[in-house]
Amino acid sequence: MNENETQLKIQALVDGELTGREAEELRARLESDGGLRALHARLTAVRGLMAGAELPRTLPESGDFHWSQISKAIGHGEREARRLAKPALGANWLLRWVMPLAGVACLVLVLSRQQTTMPDLNILLGGDHELELTDDEIDVMTFNTGDDAISIVWLDYSIDLQQDSLQLWLD
Amino acid sequence: MPEEPAYSSAEEPQLVEWAKSGDMQAFEELVARYRDRIYVRAYSIMRNEDLAVDLSQNAWVKAWQRLEQFHGEASFPTWLSRIVTNLCLDELRRQKRARMDSIEAMEEATGPVENRMELETVDPIEGLGREELRERIDAALAKLSDKHRTVIVLYEFEQFEYREIAEKMGTSIGTVMSRLFYARKRMASLLKETLKRDGLIE
Repeated sequence: MNENETQLKIQALVDGELTGREAEELRARLESDGGLRALHARLTAVRGLMAGAELPRTLPESGDFHWSQISKAIGHGEREARRLAKPALGANWLLRWVMPLAGVACLVLVLSRQQTTMPDLNILLGGDHELELTDDEIDVMTFNTGDDAISIVWLDYSIDLQQDSLQLWLD
Repeated sequence: MPEEPAYSSAEEPQLVEWAKSGDMQAFEELVARYRDRIYVRAYSIMRNEDLAVDLSQNAWVKAWQRLEQFHGEASFPTWLSRIVTNLCLDELRRQKRARMDSIEAMEEATGPVENRMELETVDPIEGLGREELRERIDAALAKLSDKHRTVIVLYEFEQFEYREIAEKMGTSIGTVMSRLFYARKRMASLLKETLKRDGLIE
């Protein structure tokens, strides 16, 4: 045990933190070591001085003001806790009305877009595009005008209409 | 109409029960009874009036919020004292993060300060009033570094054990012992100086 360790153990003995065989051994050393006894006495004296020596003080502000600050902080904390505990009024309104309405609107939008999709030539009529066929394949002709929002399709079922036989020009 | 409780003459456990059920006036009475004691604890650790007032207020607010957790194992003021002590330790940790502690810097440069001092002999002074001695001890405490003052305040005034101090300060028991030893040596030295200067000892 080095000197520093011994000093700390003497202190622990003074503070009652050292017990059992270790304490017994240290007490035995104190009997024979004047230096350790002196250290023990000094530490005991300092402890005696400190015991109950905390200087009493008075709060440097009035009791009423101190309480007003505390009660204000408590009130603020409780309001904040309530605010966090339940959704705000605006959030309630959003959850109750806007969200279902938004869902319905999305459904309507999807259905209405499905209705603008043409069946199955993989040709969408939309925008201002004009479809033309070559003279050789005059049997099928589509005309689309954005100005009047009208699409006209001429079909001659006498020919075998193959998708890959169509040549499309999109402008 | 029910009669208002007599707060000022009520026993502490009754006030605590009323406060637990949401009675702010009962809590106000508890604040009035113990506000100085809580402030003293905060001041002893922080040595700063404004900070001690703020931390005392925070401690009362936390006590109100946690009243349900108080089951009377310790007395109400002891429970409160632990709350304000914890707040002070948090504040010291925050301050420490913001600046380099001077003792630590010195230790890094030259080795542990504890090993470089001899313990002065200090006798309890006969004839010196207890109040006078308290003032000198208070002045000496103010000259310790935060970490040494905190250890000695927690041990001597808050009655913590080494293990509790180590837990609260997030350090080892060995470090607590070492800091306490240094703090006592420094206190003895400072007290001897001041008592000599005032002609109270040879």
